[in-house]
Amino acid sequence: MKIGTIITAAAILFTSLPALAGDSEHDPEALMKESHMAMFYAADDGISEVEMKIVNSKGKERVRQFAMLRLDVEEGGKQMYYTYFRKPHDVSRLTFMVHKLPQENDSRWLYIPSVDLIKRISSDDKGSSFVGSDFTYEDVSGRHWTEDTHTFVREDEYNGRGVYVIESKPVEKYKGFTRKITLIDRENHLVLREEYYKKGDSPERVFTAEKVETIDGIATSTFRRMENLKKNQYTTVEFSDIRYDVGIDESVFTERSLKNPPREYIR
Amino acid sequence: MKRYSGLIAGMMLAAVLSAPAAADSEISGFLQGLYGYGTDSRNPVPSELTASEVRLQLRFESFSDGAEYFGRLDFVYDNYLDPGISAELREGYIKFGAGGWLDMKIGRQIITWGTGDLIFINDLFPKDWVSFFSGRDDQYLKAPQNALRFTMYGGSTSLDVVYTPRFTSDVIPSGMRLSYYNPMAGGIVGGEDYLFAGTMPEAKIENGEISAKLSRYFGSIDGALYFYRGFYKTPVGMDMAAREAFYPELMVYGASLRSPVFGGIFWIESGYYDSREDSGGNDPLVPNSSLESMAGFERQITSTVTANLQYYNSYMIDHDSFAATLPEGSPVTDEFYHLLTSRVTMLFMMENLNVSLFAFYSPSEEDAYGRAAVTYKYTDTVSMALGANLFHGEYEYTTFGGFQHNDNVYLKFTYGI
Repeated sequence: MKIGTIITAAAILFTSLPALAGDSEHDPEALMKESHMAMFYAADDGISEVEMKIVNSKGKERVRQFAMLRLDVEEGGKQMYYTYFRKPHDVSRLTFMVHKLPQENDSRWLYIPSVDLIKRISSDDKGSSFVGSDFTYEDVSGRHWTEDTHTFVREDEYNGRGVYVIESKPVEKYKGFTRKITLIDRENHLVLREEYYKKGDSPERVFTAEKVETIDGIATSTFRRMENLKKNQYTTVEFSDIRYDVGIDESVFTERSLKNPPREYIR
Repeated sequence: MKRYSGLIAGMMLAAVLSAPAAADSEISGFLQGLYGYGTDSRNPVPSELTASEVRLQLRFESFSDGAEYFGRLDFVYDNYLDPGISAELREGYIKFGAGGWLDMKIGRQIITWGTGDLIFINDLFPKDWVSFFSGRDDQYLKAPQNALRFTMYGGSTSLDVVYTPRFTSDVIPSGMRLSYYNPMAGGIVGGEDYLFAGTMPEAKIENGEISAKLSRYFGSIDGALYFYRGFYKTPVGMDMAAREAFYPELMVYGASLRSPVFGGIFWIESGYYDSREDSGGNDPLVPNSSLESMAGFERQITSTVTANLQYYNSYMIDHDSFAATLPEGSPVTDEFYHLLTSRVTMLFMMENLNVSLFAFYSPSEEDAYGRAAVTYKYTDTVSMALGANLFHGEYEYTTFGGFQHNDNVYLKFTYGI
């Protein structure tokens, strides 16, 4: 598995070399990496309040509120996430932690305060829904660019912004999508729209960045939407109170904090 | 307790009203109705209901940079038999750190450790099996205790020490709500004549409980060593002179490992139960020492289905001496006790419908216990659950066989605030 990944990574590297040499601005591999960094590795760490609204086909709404801490141990590599749930009532005070290693299974922990239980969670399936929303675990923390092969399609315009259009296909068989079209903002490299196809010409899910703000000098999409066209439902995510480069220590992402939320960051 | 519930309610109300003034305080909780019906007409308990209660839980938390305090108070109106209101302080503690390497949690609290799923070897903190068997929420399986907890940290190692000044036993079926097997009566009994409670250890300093856990991460593997000094949590000893059950002295030495493997989580745990009042194994009225072990594995089957499997084994030390001392004709407990368990959790409708199945089966005692629950979250605040607890046993004197007339189904409604 690991050797396979290295070989494919090497293959991708070599096949993309001519592109790098010839036309670096349109190198799809480099653009996907840039956008991944802009979306998921902004600054060295970050804190944010998150409100997620899940709206089903009948218009019924569910709300999840949580605080989220992120630390990039290695830019583009190892990351740590810490989530403190506020709402709804049955998950309030619950904490969730992820140690994410690209191309390996995440380590995940859940702490249930009412019974003082730390549970380690199996994480084989990154395509699982995140807290019942239309976002998967992978959508939340990002799919590593080396897991797909990328083709530059064209330059285009989207909502008044210049974008690069990239098409990606998974290297290994993947049930999340068979084909993905990404629209990357030419200036800040944020993903403005992403379409996930499985069969046929219409996407099953569509991600859109509905609002982009500049926070601490960093372009950030603060309102995101994932529409599931197959199920006719959608989820929106709104980020607020965003802070970057707070200087979160790695020791925050341990069992100790699962039980004792770091109050210097989470109120 | 009843007399004070008005006062406590008043104090809670005062806390609620004054809360908005403090910046980092929060009030939350829920209101819950639970109605259970016993499906086995042979059950010798005084009511056909297994539960009929309304519960209001209020949670209050407040924190500053230095310390944090938390309270969880339940008011229960219970008319299982005679209507009555009771109040229970589920949790009430303060928590603070010292020197960056020490956390202290002092007060009434719920503590859990160990690796098993509903199997506890080194977790000798009190459990409420009556709540568990009658459909109350999972959080009620763990009973609170008044304790002082110290946790020390150094790198990837941590040491937990818990001191519980007054021994806190498990809550077990005692004949009032749930029937049980009574060896003195030689059968399954219930009702007022057979109310059962063990004699608690005397309130002496030396009868306090000490639990400790030393844990460490080795990469992604977490390992732990455990120690316990106290008493068996259920009254498994018998004082023939007084004709009373009691809690024999117990020491436990244990270890556990847990690791991600094959796309899931694998765990093993073991503990040596040193029965201090029967070290030779030749007293039939006090349990022999034993070696308790388990192994388990859990993984996602699909993106919405998770399942696990556990095997648990208890080996009785000095089984020969035990068997030799038994009176003729009495059932002989096996040298080995085997138990298999499995949990399957399925999520539907964007995780708003949850189906949970849990089965215990012992091939050595030929008994079983199954738990099933379907929970539907109608909105973020309102949920309802339909569940069942089913027992089976070839013999009345086995672990689950003794509860075989307690089969029940229940309905539960929760409104969260």
